[in-house]
Amino acid sequence: MGCRILILAEHEGGAVRETTFELLALAHRLAGEGGGGPADVKALLIGHGIGELAKGIAARGAAEVICAEGEAVKDYTGDGYGRILESVIKAESPDIVLASHTPNGWDCAPLAAAGIGVPIATECAQIAFEGGRPLFTRKAFNGKFIQVLDLGDAKPKMATVQKGAVAAFTGATQGTVRAIPAGVDAAGLRARFSGIKKSEAGGVDLTQAQVIVSGGRGVGAPEKFGVIKDLAAALGGQVGASRPVTDMGWLPHEHQVGSSGVTVNPKLYIACGISGAIQHIVGMKGSGYIIAINKDADAPIFGVASVGVVGDLFEIVPALTKAVKDAKGQ
Amino acid sequence: MKSLVLIKQVPNTDSPFRINGAGTWVDEGNLTYGLNDYDRYALEALLRFKDAGKVTEVVALTAGPERASAALRTCLATGADRGIHIRDDGLNGADPLSIARAIVAAIKDEGFSLILAGLQADDDNYMMIGPFVARLLDRPCATAAMRLELVDGGTARAERELENNRVQVVDLTLPAVITVQTGINEPRYASLKGIMAAKKKEIRTVGLADLKMDAGAIAASAARFKTVRLAPPPKGKGAEILTGPADKVAQELVKRIREKTGVI
Repeated sequence: MGCRILILAEHEGGAVRETTFELLALAHRLAGEGGGGPADVKALLIGHGIGELAKGIAARGAAEVICAEGEAVKDYTGDGYGRILESVIKAESPDIVLASHTPNGWDCAPLAAAGIGVPIATECAQIAFEGGRPLFTRKAFNGKFIQVLDLGDAKPKMATVQKGAVAAFTGATQGTVRAIPAGVDAAGLRARFSGIKKSEAGGVDLTQAQVIVSGGRGVGAPEKFGVIKDLAAALGGQVGASRPVTDMGWLPHEHQVGSSGVTVNPKLYIACGISGAIQHIVGMKGSGYIIAINKDADAPIFGVASVGVVGDLFEIVPALTKAVKDAKGQ
Repeated sequence: MKSLVLIKQVPNTDSPFRINGAGTWVDEGNLTYGLNDYDRYALEALLRFKDAGKVTEVVALTAGPERASAALRTCLATGADRGIHIRDDGLNGADPLSIARAIVAAIKDEGFSLILAGLQADDDNYMMIGPFVARLLDRPCATAAMRLELVDGGTARAERELENNRVQVVDLTLPAVITVQTGINEPRYASLKGIMAAKKKEIRTVGLADLKMDAGAIAASAARFKTVRLAPPPKGKGAEILTGPADKVAQELVKRIREKTGVI
């Protein structure tokens, strides 16, 4: 018996990403539910000069950290990470493999899955044992439905896990670190890292905002954003947007809240005409208080909002702006 | 340079979605379908390379039932040169890995240098097919490209979207597979002339026998990726819904903002 779990650790800017410890917390629970224990949880860390980071992971959740070091994987490429992940899975033969549903996790984990010949449950919000086997819960149809997947006899069962789906591991462990050769060299890689840069110059920093008023596709047109901007101004906040709004060029990209934009946690978030695709929700669900205004009573945004109004945003938002100004005595 | 775009026909987002009797997927009877939005951007990226003389041919491929040929026709009307339709009842209920294997089998003699796909499909949101095809072909892959250029005949440079408005620039040795994020370009629409011309363009239809794929293996693979439940998101923790005239609702909201957030 037992349930051996391998997680793919991620690091950035010389620090282990918090999502790694979320995976470790999930791995500890799954190892237990599967009839094993903390000793069954291993982490794979890939990079160059990462010995100290590996020790940190061994001290916070992993019984063993497999540390694949090499100059060729100093920076992330799907080719390098994917191949190492695949070869370590083949060598370790875990029952479950977890990666974060981050731009690097969703990029390399499916490569390893296909190399091994198993599917992968992507962007899981929950994984739990039910009737003796793990079931993988995720959103489908852009959040309209919850899908539960059974990966049958897949070995390993692979998944990427939504950021923030699980609280990070906070306990202390005394794991070990095992260094292995990366096994890939720069000459053999068919993908070459060429830098990280800001996608666009922008003066807006939503991550520091206390109040964000966001508009979505439901606003209808760029010239109609006035009501959103007025409410943001009345509240002393910033204007945010969902992906379709920035894709269509209604607002610059730096206003985008969501998995591909910025993750925000203001005290107050007001979503206007935003249906609540999962990509948006992961970027704003950590907000202190969420108000949703949408004409569709079934919109997923109401599932994360504290309070909602079903109706026409062009009636409600201006009325709210006026009420805010009255309350402030303006 | 020959190029391929992997496309999917998906339910329109404003379709009436209902869960099927078994509670395992949506009832497809009531849905209307169209080309997956992400794929329009992938197709446009290839058409621009062709307009610039960097790509000689743009082929669109889909795997799906008969109705999916309409999505291929949309691509042909928009400017793709020809289509490949993988169509077989044995693929009903196939998992993404089998679909990827079928795609790889269908294109093995084609010699595509650049293969693009949408980052994900708007129905299942799996994000698997692009990387799966790349790995099965043993070629490099990059996902969520926000910019894409062909540096020379042998390299594609992609800007992969990261979090917090950053991108990673990565150079891939061709042949390569790249998935495209929405917003990378402004997709064109089919012209009337294009729609007429599309009627004469070739769609090659291939089945499992042509691909030398075994229905038993597909069923075994599907058993490793089985949807046991599809359900609406839990309502329990949902929002308190305010109703009434806008000005009354606004006052209620202000009261809550004041009590819960202190920003007023």
